[in-house]
Amino acid sequence: MSQNNPATYAQAIQYQLASIVTPIPVYANFNRNFATETKFITWNLRNVHQPVFTGINQDNKGIDRPIFQISIFTTLFEDAMNVSNLILQSLHGYSGQFGGASGFYIAKADVDWLYNTYDNEIGLQQVILDCTLDIPT
Amino acid sequence: MALPNKILPGFSASLYAQPTATPTPLTNAALATVATVAALAIPSNLVNVEAVPAFGQDDAVASFSIAGSRQSDKIPTQSAPTSLTITAPWNPSDAQLLILRGDAYNGTIDRTFIISATDGTNTIYYAFNGRVSQFQIDAQPGAEAKAIFTVHPRGNQFGWSNTV
Repeated sequence: MSQNNPATYAQAIQYQLASIVTPIPVYANFNRNFATETKFITWNLRNVHQPVFTGINQDNKGIDRPIFQISIFTTLFEDAMNVSNLILQSLHGYSGQFGGASGFYIAKADVDWLYNTYDNEIGLQQVILDCTLDIPT
Repeated sequence: MALPNKILPGFSASLYAQPTATPTPLTNAALATVATVAALAIPSNLVNVEAVPAFGQDDAVASFSIAGSRQSDKIPTQSAPTSLTITAPWNPSDAQLLILRGDAYNGTIDRTFIISATDGTNTIYYAFNGRVSQFQIDAQPGAEAKAIFTVHPRGNQFGWSNTV
């Protein structure tokens, strides 16, 4: 099967996260206005990789299991924990349409709640989660 | 809609077991008919398994060799459907696990099992009639307790179907 488009993944992740945590703003990579917003989320996509099987045909590829990191930023520790719970409840073990009508089907979303931390420079609590998607291709 | 036309993640497969303690298994024709199979592949019939094992048909071959003849010959025979050894997280009150435990205790109950796999739009079904043999609880510490059971399909009683 053909190579999936990372741009499609990015749109779907942005849509899905925003719909879970609304009205908390969601950004790709970073938020310039971190000093004025008490709660926000950023995400980063990585490990987009479909295994390539034997043969000379470029289309002979397997399923994709990309990971996106979700970083929760809040001024209050309690908020960070509650938002992370919101994402866990919605996303962990989810199977179905991902990213709204223009998204795609995922067989599984697997969320790994990694750690929480505090950034003294910007004065924000953080929770870092990894989410792995199983995407038929 | 037809067959899924994608490479599917293993996670897209689910196992269903026909309900009630004394089921009437589907006929061979019904096992290959999507309407009758899909009617049983519903959430209340879902068996919560850790993973769906390999399913389909076994390899079966008769080998012949005759002294003095240059080559031996391997002739495929009608192969039986594959037995499935399944691991499920053990909840002693799980209704579907209790049904399967009852099957293993009885030993002669034929039940229809269905494995479905979907790409989100289309679904393929593998349905078969089988009896539960092994039923063990693995309660070793360090992990969740597991119920391990084996389903042995009856010969010639299985079928493939898909959404239309």
